[in-house]
Amino acid sequence: MNYPVWQLDFFGGGLTIALIAILHVYISHFAIGGGLFLVLTELKAYRENSPEILEYTRRHTRFFLLLTLVLGAITGVGIWFTIALIAPAATSILIHNFVFGWAIEWVFFVGEIVAVLVYYYTFGRMDRRNHLIIGWLYFIFAWLSLFVINGIIAFMLSPGEWLTSGNFWDGFFNPTFWPALFFRTFLCLMLAGLYGFLTSTAIKEEGLRHTMVRYCATWLLAPFVFFLASAYWYVQSLPPGPRAWVLNLDSAIAPSLSFFIWGSPLLFLGGLLMAIRLPQLAKRTLAVVLLLLGLAYMGSFEYIREGSRRPYTIADHIYANAILARDLPTVAEKGILASARWVDKEITDANRLLVGRQIYDIFCASCHSIGGPIRDIKKLSAKYASVYVMEGEISGQGKVIGCMPPFPGTLAERNALATFIVEGLRGKKKPQAQPTLSAQPLAPLPFDPETSQYLLLAWNNMGMHCLTDADSLFSFLPPANNLHAQLIRRGPTPEVVTEGVVITYQVEPGFENPAGKVEFWKYQTPLYGTSQPENIGLSGNGLAGTMTLNPDSKAFAADKVPVVPYPAAGGYMPYPAFTIEARDKATNTLLAATRMVAPVSTELGCKNCHGGGWSKEVAGISPVPTRDFLTVHDRFNKTKLLAAARAGKPLLCQSCHPDPILNAAGNPKLLNLPASIHGWHANFLTGRGAEACALCHPNNPQGSTLCLRGIHNELGLTCVNCHGTLEDHALSLLLAEKKAGKPGADRLMKHLKPRSVASLEEIKPRTPWLNEPDCLTCHVGFAPPETDTAFNVWTESGDELYRNRHDESGSIHCAACHGSPHAIYPATNPYEKERDNFGPRQYQGNPYPIGANKNCAVCHTVEMEEELHHPNSLGMMRNSRE
Amino acid sequence: MDPATLIPSPDAIPVPWGYFQFLLILTFFLHLLFMNVMLGTSFIALTRELRSPTAAPPPCRDLASKLTHIIAFTVNFGVAPLLFLQVLYGQFIYTSSILMGAYWLSVVPLLILAYYGAYLYKMRHDLTAGSRRGTLALSLCLLLAIAFLFVNNISLMQNPQNWDAYFSQPDGTLLALADPALPSRYLHFLAASAAAGGLFLAILAWFRLKKGEQGAARELGAGMKWFTYATVVEAGTGIPFLFSMPREVHQLFVGGALLPTLLFSAALVATFLCLRYGAQERVWPATAALAVTILCMILVRDLARQAYLAPYFHPADLAVSPQWSPFLLFLAILVAGGGAVAYMLKLAAKAGREVRP
Repeated sequence: MNYPVWQLDFFGGGLTIALIAILHVYISHFAIGGGLFLVLTELKAYRENSPEILEYTRRHTRFFLLLTLVLGAITGVGIWFTIALIAPAATSILIHNFVFGWAIEWVFFVGEIVAVLVYYYTFGRMDRRNHLIIGWLYFIFAWLSLFVINGIIAFMLSPGEWLTSGNFWDGFFNPTFWPALFFRTFLCLMLAGLYGFLTSTAIKEEGLRHTMVRYCATWLLAPFVFFLASAYWYVQSLPPGPRAWVLNLDSAIAPSLSFFIWGSPLLFLGGLLMAIRLPQLAKRTLAVVLLLLGLAYMGSFEYIREGSRRPYTIADHIYANAILARDLPTVAEKGILASARWVDKEITDANRLLVGRQIYDIFCASCHSIGGPIRDIKKLSAKYASVYVMEGEISGQGKVIGCMPPFPGTLAERNALATFIVEGLRGKKKPQAQPTLSAQPLAPLPFDPETSQYLLLAWNNMGMHCLTDADSLFSFLPPANNLHAQLIRRGPTPEVVTEGVVITYQVEPGFENPAGKVEFWKYQTPLYGTSQPENIGLSGNGLAGTMTLNPDSKAFAADKVPVVPYPAAGGYMPYPAFTIEARDKATNTLLAATRMVAPVSTELGCKNCHGGGWSKEVAGISPVPTRDFLTVHDRFNKTKLLAAARAGKPLLCQSCHPDPILNAAGNPKLLNLPASIHGWHANFLTGRGAEACALCHPNNPQGSTLCLRGIHNELGLTCVNCHGTLEDHALSLLLAEKKAGKPGADRLMKHLKPRSVASLEEIKPRTPWLNEPDCLTCHVGFAPPETDTAFNVWTESGDELYRNRHDESGSIHCAACHGSPHAIYPATNPYEKERDNFGPRQYQGNPYPIGANKNCAVCHTVEMEEELHHPNSLGMMRNSRE
Repeated sequence: MDPATLIPSPDAIPVPWGYFQFLLILTFFLHLLFMNVMLGTSFIALTRELRSPTAAPPPCRDLASKLTHIIAFTVNFGVAPLLFLQVLYGQFIYTSSILMGAYWLSVVPLLILAYYGAYLYKMRHDLTAGSRRGTLALSLCLLLAIAFLFVNNISLMQNPQNWDAYFSQPDGTLLALADPALPSRYLHFLAASAAAGGLFLAILAWFRLKKGEQGAARELGAGMKWFTYATVVEAGTGIPFLFSMPREVHQLFVGGALLPTLLFSAALVATFLCLRYGAQERVWPATAALAVTILCMILVRDLARQAYLAPYFHPADLAVSPQWSPFLLFLAILVAGGGAVAYMLKLAAKAGREVRP
């Protein structure tokens, strides 16, 4: 924030540093081990009285000199140049805190140069003993250089006590200092062998060549076991953060880690191969291959080390984007533009992209490239469909995903950054056209108030009901809607009929064959452990059948009817209608018939953040987003969901996560599914309103379902009015899980702040599907509401849910007269305006609740004066349509 | 835009700034000696290659063979002053480096090429005259380019008022071309390098003369000629260099303030002595005079930088959070390291002539 940012775009910070650093460390470690190799090989020549070995040593020294003194030394300066350009603030901290460490290292550097030049240019001219002393001095200086640099590099990974004391020695002799020193020292010795292969395989005389190649192989092989032991020690001494990245095999460093793990036996095997007699050409080739393997091996180690430091440049002190950890709260309070120097101070419509770029430079550019090979922001952000969801991804950083620093900007800054990434880098897309939503009009069935003896009321109780139609990969919602009906015998004293009748249901034509549209029946066994025939749902009900009586609720029901939103003729229709008929059990005479809608949507917006598109033009979960979120889940929870799916055994989310909606016990130690899904996503979608809900649930204003279609929607209420904002909603679920002692809750709650109440303590914990908003919170005493906020007052149990509740007489379901949840009469269906109002239109000729406007006669056949069903039931309709 | 709003906040230093200032001046002095000799030697060697008939043996292999060592120590003695410069002026030098990041980082590959070129020239005895000239010319050009980039960076760092060009050019391709002092500053350094190269030639010849080698006297004379003429050019470019600096800066050295004026006068006297001893072909007095000139000029240069940055910063402003033990350890290691280096050089000298590969 202090410094300007060099816009590197293609290279990004990462590649630029990697290119120069890996080359340098590979040579500089050789410069240390190779120094010992020189002096010991010279000694060997003297001991064995071998002028040939001495000559080999001299020639190897020349190679050593040319490589280490030029390429090694200058790339070392190059790293310093590079880090100062890419991470000037962190470099400044390293320079200022360890200036005398660097200065001491410089003295050793002087000694190294003098020693190696004297060693080479006096070869064969100096007294043997003195020449060996020079050789030893070179090695000592070189190793002492490592000693110093190792202290500073290890400091970046594990600053230890320095964080509080600021003391040079605390920082230098930090928790990983010694293991890293041993690790690197053994590596240096091994590299001496690897580089030695290059010169020893070039020896013309076969006997000597074989001897020297074997000698080099000893250098590679002998330290190996000590090297691996020190690697183990190194990992054990890592602070918890870096250690977790390594031990959890985080996907960002997993390839390097695998390479390191597989590279070890390969190198060892290569060393063994070099020790046996092979043709010279084979050995020359193998020497080059091993040298390159060694380079990649070294690179993978450095990548793991750097990667395990994320999101910091100096652990727990300065983030990769140069914001000091201690400054983060201040920056978050003031905003990035107010805190940074090299930026425009205001965001306007005209400069939004430019400022977005400036924020990108500060916040992202130190690690990400634009179109380059390392952490390409264009590629990584391609899955975010809009600026809106890109903002979500930005908000989520540093929370549940710890590899990136938290974003401390204001909402406007977040928007500018997201706009730059989505529109500035990818180009502005035309907004998608709203799909045309229409359906063949379906009339209500006939009813004659004068002659009809019965009233059949039907509803579904699933509300904003969805189906996850990517069964080959996962599932958490099967095709399963619940149809309910109550038959009322009309008369001055009406009666709910429960005996002597048969209630049947039949889906409208075109929806009878869901098995032809979704793969549920193919994957039901791995997902649900069932093997129902095609078109038969989990409870044994098909698309037509007989409802069963629930004597307690005096209603008939058909559970888990496997209706899907895909008509046979093609397209998407999330509101299939059912015809419900009541017949006399004895005579099969039709007593009453009605229609109802069983909503079912596949407009789950996973694709908004997880990439890809719809599977069926305007809805449907396609494989691309599914694979993406399974990958994310696998990455952060160490699961193997994608692999299981690929093996043809997709998993039901509730097989692990408990969930009352499916009566799934799951793994009781894990968060229930609603708590985990809402908790995870709330960390990203902070500071939003109902539009955040609509990213996943089928109520996007530009979408193809618009499932909130009752009177509340018409009056302008949104999800948030009843369920709270996403953060509050998630916290209420997580809090219950936390109280139940589930360890995962804290991780998701840590960064969530309540919005509608002042503190977490004020949030009322709840169990999903059972503790839900209560209609009577706003409609106190069934009176007109004086508030529009129902959040934080929950039904005490499932019995009090709107979908299960009865009137005060205990006979009639609320939903029987007022309509299905989320489609409260008068509802407006986006496909056909009156589609959700079949019952009222059939019996009353209007879309209002049954009996509205004092129409007691619809059941009672006469006018009534008593408010039998609930107080205020004799009031007039307040929200009449024009 | 007020340049002060762009200048980053500096970090605290562990011992008072004067220690770093001393170390900066000392190590920069050593760096400059090597750097001048490096550039001057390459330049003289190339002119000799160009003048010599193609069939003749390499005219200056002796001279050029020192080049690789000189590059090694130029780089090495460049590390220390850059370190201390970052300690005292980090917020300026990091910023200017970033503004010219693409050029600044190119110093690394350019230097590697120049360095290997020098080794190629030195180690390959079978090069044709054309290849020798080409190799040497390439190395020299690269070294000159690097010197130009260094001069740009140092100029850019002390002119924060030019930094806002970043906003229209954030891709690291800014240079300090807007600084009127840049051309004369660069030429001044080049002339100084040619002078130092000539003197180095003369010093080498002096040792050969001592051994009674043939042609050494002529070589010594040639070296001193290079030294003297280049010093004239150096002085000639110094005047426009001085007056191309802002008025409030250059006036300090011509009577505006006592210490700058004294130092500048001392530098002028030392330069005069350089010319005099140069003309007299007195190698060691000339060497001493040149050393004094360089030292005075470094001090002058440092005061000029302080004057440039006076509206924004002085190293005395840096917060100190004292930690003496690392400093003391450094001093101890510096002494021990110096002893070890002396011991090695003594052993090397005892070993006799260098063995050439």
